[in-house]
This record gives sequence, structure tokens and C-alpha cells, in this order.
Amino acid sequence: MMTGFMTLVAAVAAVMLGAAGPAAAQDSERGPLRIEITEGVIEPMPVAVPDFVAQGGAAQDWASRIARVVADDLSGTGLFREIPREAFISPITSFSSPVQFADWKAINAQALISGAVEMDGNGGLVVKFRLYDVFAGQELGEGLRFAGTTQGWRRMAHKVADAVYSRITGEGPYFDSRVAFVAETGPKNDRQKRLAIMDYDGANMQYLTEGSSIVLAPRFSPDGQRILFTSYRSGFPRIYLLDTGSMQLRALEEQPGSMSFAPRFAPDGRTVVYSLTRGGNTDIYTLNIESGQTTRLTSSPSIETAPSFSPDGSRIVFESDRSGNQQLYVMPVDGGTPERISFGKGRYGTPVWSPRGDLVAFTKQSKGRFHIGVMRLDGSEERLLTASFLDEGPTWSPNGRVIMFTRETQGAGGQASLYSVDITGRNLKRVRTDTGASDPSWSPLLK
Amino acid sequence: MHVGHYISGAGHLGLIGWLLWGGNFAPAPEPFEVSEVSVITAEEYAALTAPETAPEASTEAVAPSPPETAEEPPEIPATPTEEPPDSSDPEAAQASDPDEAPDVSEIRPPEPTDAEDTPPEMAPAPSESAALIPEESDQPAPKKAPRVAPEPVAPPEPDSKVDEVRQEEQVPEEGAETPAEPQEATAPEEAATEIVTEAEEEPAAAPTASLRPQARPKRSTVGQKPKPPKENDKTDTAAINSALEEALGEEEETAAPQSAAPAGPPLSQGERDALRVAVQRCWNVGSLSSAALATTVIVGVSMERDGRPDTGSIRLIGSEGGSDAAARQAFEAARRAIIRCGANGFDLPEEKYERWQDIEMTFNPENMRIK
Repeated sequence: MMTGFMTLVAAVAAVMLGAAGPAAAQDSERGPLRIEITEGVIEPMPVAVPDFVAQGGAAQDWASRIARVVADDLSGTGLFREIPREAFISPITSFSSPVQFADWKAINAQALISGAVEMDGNGGLVVKFRLYDVFAGQELGEGLRFAGTTQGWRRMAHKVADAVYSRITGEGPYFDSRVAFVAETGPKNDRQKRLAIMDYDGANMQYLTEGSSIVLAPRFSPDGQRILFTSYRSGFPRIYLLDTGSMQLRALEEQPGSMSFAPRFAPDGRTVVYSLTRGGNTDIYTLNIESGQTTRLTSSPSIETAPSFSPDGSRIVFESDRSGNQQLYVMPVDGGTPERISFGKGRYGTPVWSPRGDLVAFTKQSKGRFHIGVMRLDGSEERLLTASFLDEGPTWSPNGRVIMFTRETQGAGGQASLYSVDITGRNLKRVRTDTGASDPSWSPLLK
Repeated sequence: MHVGHYISGAGHLGLIGWLLWGGNFAPAPEPFEVSEVSVITAEEYAALTAPETAPEASTEAVAPSPPETAEEPPEIPATPTEEPPDSSDPEAAQASDPDEAPDVSEIRPPEPTDAEDTPPEMAPAPSESAALIPEESDQPAPKKAPRVAPEPVAPPEPDSKVDEVRQEEQVPEEGAETPAEPQEATAPEEAATEIVTEAEEEPAAAPTASLRPQARPKRSTVGQKPKPPKENDKTDTAAINSALEEALGEEEETAAPQSAAPAGPPLSQGERDALRVAVQRCWNVGSLSSAALATTVIVGVSMERDGRPDTGSIRLIGSEGGSDAAARQAFEAARRAIIRCGANGFDLPEEKYERWQDIEMTFNPENMRIK
């Protein structure tokens, strides 16, 4: 009883003190004024990317092209907005001259990239740049310098953009990366599917296979040098390993009377996890590439497929219909009891673990529509990012900030194409490809 | 004998006294309860009661069309590039083994095992519906906008210049005695209050579900035994004591520097709010990483008497919740907010300059993470 009375008194005193606190602090305060900002705005940051300064006549063309790729990379994230060059008040004519911050403030440029390009004695390119916080009137970080060949000018531009992006946002870089995918040509009932590779933004596309057999679901190795994919070249779906350096192709799993598909590398690059169908039942296996030893991880009469490793290699997320409906499960890397993580309405499939390890991207089918979404590993904070007739096959950017996926339109003339979306759900856009495209796989950052 | 007289006399005196003064001890009559009554017409009564009647089923309801049957991918402006990739003659695999000649007739697709255990979801038949209702909640769905701000903003006029302040266009009139200064029309940029993904966009007006009978209401909890108190209740005292200590501690902290010179009246809540709103208009967290969005930073700034921040004095006092790198990104975003929106001077009362000469701003992005 006494305790209750004391509690009441203390509560009343606390409330009175709490209410009087700010006023009392304000009245008696002689220190700094304290305010708390809890609301802000979310909008792209205006950034100025003037043409890089050409140091030597031969570099003139490269200077402009590199600046354009840098600007496109940054604008393409949706986090930056390039200020049109027509609005510039003072051009940058010298890389070493002081920046007239007032002129850039006047056009509301919050960041300014100043760069220079020169040709070295061997015909190579040297690109250097500095990044400025215009309103603070100071340089952000230190300037960087990249050297390479003229053939690799786009990579150098991507590296400049990566450095700027990381310095301002704090996210890891991802522009200097590639995407393997299935290039699709021809009508829907006679479609030719070839393995292809391109820069992350759709440039420099190259075919890796001829169109004589259907290929599916390419997957990059952790070092970006090899690609796993499924091919029908033997008449049945089989997993193949392609070395992108030597272009050597090798069949990984050859078991008569079975079908293997949905392969994906483990983070160590030596193990492959995949699905194998034998006797009408589909389960998940691992395969050691060097020894050829296989290990069965699931043994349920239901369908288990689409496995994906966690970044630390300790767990595997996959889809299964053991509950009567397609849902997502997580199990230890050596098998064991799976734990269901998706509980929403609809069907969940093709889970992919984020490179950061905090999220799983998935395809969801609900109410006749397909979605790409993300959720935490305990199934919480599910968020659907897209909605269309058919969205599927998400793949993560190397920094875990962007998801690329396949979107297919309805009807006999329906086309598959690649789209990307920020994990906030903003900046949904189509990735430029020269043919129809599906099954993207984002490479790690290039070395 | 005398005893009988005494009893009788006392009884009569009591009776006479009650008749004379007994009324004084009666309770006062209850006050009248007065309520106004007005007469309404039959039409008004019908209008009042009409919404309570169940809506009639419409037999002419148009069947909902399947969603997005003819969806086309949105037009994305092609990124101008200096050199499109050579798609007409791509480099084919040179070292790879040539694929065998295609023989489509022999290709056997994987067994359709997916269909066995996963029957397709059946949408409710529209014909069952008695009354069609929209599936979404009554709350208006937020619209998509390129900018997310605390207050929603409608799209500005096409000719308006984007600015934080809305101003009408002023054109000097010919022949006017005091010609008005020309002023370009300005309006804030369009904004929504939260990020709206494609999956969350406002659905089409056509309903996609039929009205179902409501479930039986839950049983009343009257008469049920109250739940036993949780164990957490035991910790209330400790929590209150710690809150008291904290409050008292803050009091002591704020009371400590009282030895300084008098500084005039304190800022009113309205003045503080105006400063807060002015800064948050420019606090753009759109280009911050998720790690920086989980970091609260305290930023100190010294102010000029005209309300402008001394940009050289802006410093990071402390941070919480993130790495040093994340705190740096968060601080830089906060610094940009203070400089940008303080460029023309914050609206602060000059007579209270000593009160806002030094400001500590805590930038807490917790609310922005879930936008």
C-alpha cells in the first residue's frame, strides 16, 4: 500500500518535472539553445558535373564522355539530380584553380565534381577528380586519380562515380560492375535465349553462348570470373560452369534420370548449392566443384528449390511448398531443420540473400499480380517494391542497395526486360538492353 | 402516575415541534432537468436516418476488370550515351564449345511438379457479391511524388519557380503611381509525406473483392477476472526513480551555468518551432545510406546577430547509433541543412540574441527511416 502511494507521488512529481523541464531549461539556460530535428525531406541531391578539363588536345573527347558517364551513374541512382550544364554560371577551365563556390551556390548545386583527363605517353588515359561540398565551401575527402587504357574509359568513369557516390551517401560502390543475363530474341513461341553479359548500365553487351540451346538463370561466382547457369544443350536441364576469362565450359552435374537447376555459388566460391529432381521429387544439394562430392541438404517429399547462401556462408534461404503453399525457409548450411520466415498471403519464391546480410529479396505472387519485395530474416518489415503482370528473379547490386529483376509484359507479343529499383521502392526504371532480357545476375564489384 | 404524564407531555411536545419545524430538515427538491426539444420535418428525419439503412445491392454493377491486363512497361527516357554498344555484331563466345544443333522435338521440359502441391489462388467470384466495396481502407492513399516532406505539397503551377516560399507573380502595371516590383511566381516543389512504391500506388477504383458477412462479435469481457499484474509492473518504481533522477540531473545541468550574465527573455515555443521547421525544410536525407539514417548527430553552430549561421563554427558535438563514417555522412547532411536554409538568416528575435547565439541541434532521423 505504501509502495503504491510512493509510486503515485513519484509519478506525479516526474510528470510535473517533465512538463516543467523544457520551460525551466529555457528560462534558466545560459548555455546553447537546444532543438531537435526529427523531420526532414527526401529528395535527390542537386549535383553539378561540368565537363572534365582536357589536359592536352587528345584528351578533349574523353573528358566530355567520362563526365557524361559519371553524371549518368549518379543520376541513375535516384539519389542525385544533375543540374543542366546550361545553368552553369562559371565553367571550370582549370583543375587546379580555386572553385567559385558562390556561382555554384547560386544555382543550388550542393555537390560539385571537378575533374581532368590527360593522355599518358603510352596512349593510356589518366583521370583525376575532386569532390566539393558547395555550401560548406570545402572539398569532400581527397581527390583521386585513375590510370587505364582508352578501352577501359567507361570503367574509369564508373570508378569516379563510385568514389563520389560512396563519399556522399556512405553506401558501398556498385557502378563498376557487370550483369550476366539471358538475352531473348524472336517471338514468344520460338524464342532464342543466349547467355550475355553487359555493364551494369546496359553498355558493352557481349554474348557468351550461341543460341542453339536454351539457357536459364546465370549466377556469378564471388570473384566474378565464372558463371553458373542451366542449359538444355543435352536435352535435359543441367548445370554448367563457364569461365569468362578462358571461355571454357564444363558440365557440373551429370546424373542419369535427373534434372539439376537453380545453382548458386557459396561465398567461398568452391561449393555450389542447387536443386536436383529425381523420381519426381526436388530437393536441395551442395556440390564441391573440385572434388565433385555432393551432399543432400533436404529430404522432404515437397519441392525445395531456389537456394541462396547467406553472405557468411552459414545459412541457406530457399523456397518450399511443404506447408501446402510456396513459402520461404532458412536452414543451416549443412541441412537441419528449416525455419519458415514468410507468412504473408500469396506465394513467395526465388529468395536472394542481400550482400549486407540484413534482407532477403523475393518474388511474391498475390491476387493475380507479381511483386518484387524485401523482408528481414525473421520475416518482419516485408515491403513490396513493385507490382506488375510478371516480375521475378531479383538480384542484388554489390552494395545491397539496388535490386534488378525481370519484368515481362502480357500477351503473345509480351517481352521480357530488365528493371531496377532502389530498396526504398523509389527509382523504378528500365535497364537499357538491346534485346529482350531476363534472369539478371549482378556481379561483385570489379577488381 | 406522574411518569405517565411526563411521557404523554413529552410525546405531545415532540409532535407539536415536528409539525412546526419538521419541514426545515427535508431535503431540497431536485432541480428540474431542462432540455430543448425541436420539431423536425418528416424529410429531415428521413435524411437523418437514411445512412443507417443498408445499401441496396446494385444489379447494374459492372464486373471488375482483371488488373493490368494490358500493362505496358513505363516509358523510360533513354540515357544519352556517346557510343551505343554494338549490338548488331556482338562478340560471340570464341573459346566455348559450339552448342549442338537445336532439336526442339527432343527437349523435354522439367516435370511440372509445381502444379501438384500449389493450387492456384482463386479470386472470389464477383457474382457472389451483394454490395461491392473497395478493398482498400477508407484512409486516403498517399500519392507518389519525387520529394518526401513532412507536409504534402500539391504540384506547383508549370510556370512557377521552385522555392520554399509560395509567392504570387507580380507584374508592374503601366501608369500605376507606385509601380510594384516584378516578382516571379514561386511555389514549393511537389511532395508526398512518405515513399510510395509501385506496389502501394493508389489502386484502380474498381473493387476487387465482394462484401462478406461480418464475423460474430467477440464475447463481452464483463465478468471476467482481471489479468494478474505483469512482472513489468514491479519495475515501474525503478523506472520512475530513474526518470526522476534523469529529470533532476537535467535540472542540475541546466542550472549550472546560471552564473553567466542575464540574457533577456527566453525564446517562446513558437520561435523555437519556427527555427526547427526552417532547418528541417533543408534537411535532405534522401542521399544518405541506411547506416547514416540510423545515426543521430548533435551539431553545434554559432549564430550571427542577423540570424545567419557562422558556417565555420558548425561542428559535430556527438553522435549515436552508427559508425564514425555514418556519423560523418549524417553530419554533412545536417551541415548542408543549416547553411542552406540559414543563408538568408533564420527568423529569430534579435532582442533575444544571447539566447540563440549558440545552438545545439539534434538531428534524429528515426522518423525518416520508415518513410
